[in-house]
Amino acid sequence: MQRSKIVLAEDNSTLSLLLKYRLEKEGYEVLVAVDGKEAVELVESHKPDMVLADIMMPFYSGLEVVSYIRNKLKKDIPIIIFSSAGQEEMVLKAFNLGANDFMTKPFSPNELVIRLKRFFS
Amino acid sequence: MNLYEYLIDAFNQAPVLIQIGFLIVLALIICIITLIISLRAIRSYLNIKGKEIIKNKKEFEALVVEYLYSGTGFDELSEKQLAIITRIKDAIISTSKRKSVITILSNLMNEVSGEMSDSIKTLYHKIGLITYATQRLESKKWHIVAKAIVELRRFKVYETQDKVATFLNHPRKEIRKEAQLYSVHLFKFNGLSFLDDLETPLSEWHQLLLLEALLNLENQKICDITPWLKSSNTSVVLFALKLVKIYTQFETKETLIELLSHPEKEVRVYTLKVLKELFGYEAEESLIENTSTSDLRIDAEMSLLNLVKN
Repeated sequence: MQRSKIVLAEDNSTLSLLLKYRLEKEGYEVLVAVDGKEAVELVESHKPDMVLADIMMPFYSGLEVVSYIRNKLKKDIPIIIFSSAGQEEMVLKAFNLGANDFMTKPFSPNELVIRLKRFFS
Repeated sequence: MNLYEYLIDAFNQAPVLIQIGFLIVLALIICIITLIISLRAIRSYLNIKGKEIIKNKKEFEALVVEYLYSGTGFDELSEKQLAIITRIKDAIISTSKRKSVITILSNLMNEVSGEMSDSIKTLYHKIGLITYATQRLESKKWHIVAKAIVELRRFKVYETQDKVATFLNHPRKEIRKEAQLYSVHLFKFNGLSFLDDLETPLSEWHQLLLLEALLNLENQKICDITPWLKSSNTSVVLFALKLVKIYTQFETKETLIELLSHPEKEVRVYTLKVLKELFGYEAEESLIENTSTSDLRIDAEMSLLNLVKN
């Protein structure tokens, strides 16, 4: 059975390593991008089943990644956005652009896995 | 050899001004060459240091993540976790490696919550970073002390309460601020006891940080705010008034009315606002009766008028 592919765009290398480890343990194939530009490239070249993106990232922000996937690539894959406290407006913008869900940092990786499974079920 | 002698003769026979000019040019050339060599040396040192930092970061990131996922699911640590603790403990004797570990743990604390953040705190304790942070509290440099207190607060180190308490009235405001935030973050309302004898002013921003720390706490037991309302430190009184307002402390009514005669206008006006917010119309009438200061009396009458109009 082919594993579901997830692009994880996060500039905090420790967090991305932590989530990669956890998601791979759950059976997903995880492709890590360190910034928005790399995330867009990975989405274009690997055709993932889901995208997890931080709002604040170098080069392209999480919002730009969402916009690119929805408007340019015309893909309707689930997108979960990571935001921090005080970024509520950004989250609303992300939803308007087509994001499916969001999680506010600090968050529990266990909760992320539960939300992910909901999308894949 | 002839050329050398010719140059020396030419230099000796040249006018003094030319000789001085020549010496200055020579000195400048030597300076430039020295600077170029030092710059190259510094750059290569920084490159090596940068590579070392990246290498350390990668190594410890992997270890920390491995530690976090090697738990048994119970309170006790697994063998793998114990082995990782020993490995990190040995490595952090080196200052640069210790900094890498602290940065990784601090970054993760900002990003994850729940069981994972508890595990990070446990790791911080077990690898002995508390000892290093406590040592940094003894530093003569204020920024090192302030950063050590921030670290102790972030990882919720309760054991250093007494040591941090000595900084609550520190003359340096940055250290004082961090010590006070540590106290409130870790000991909730009990941590506000430093207000009892605080002599230095609490800035508006600092008051907001303290309130934010209090509002983020769950199951808090509110203590008696009245002594702070009677403090000789105006900023403490103003902060206490904010607490009265946020935590709707109706029982402080008598003290609030006494505050209407406070020498500071800011306190009188804020007290009026708090009274109006807590007791509404009922308070307005009694305020006018009890208010002796003319400007405040006008304020009180105006606010009563607005209330009636609305």
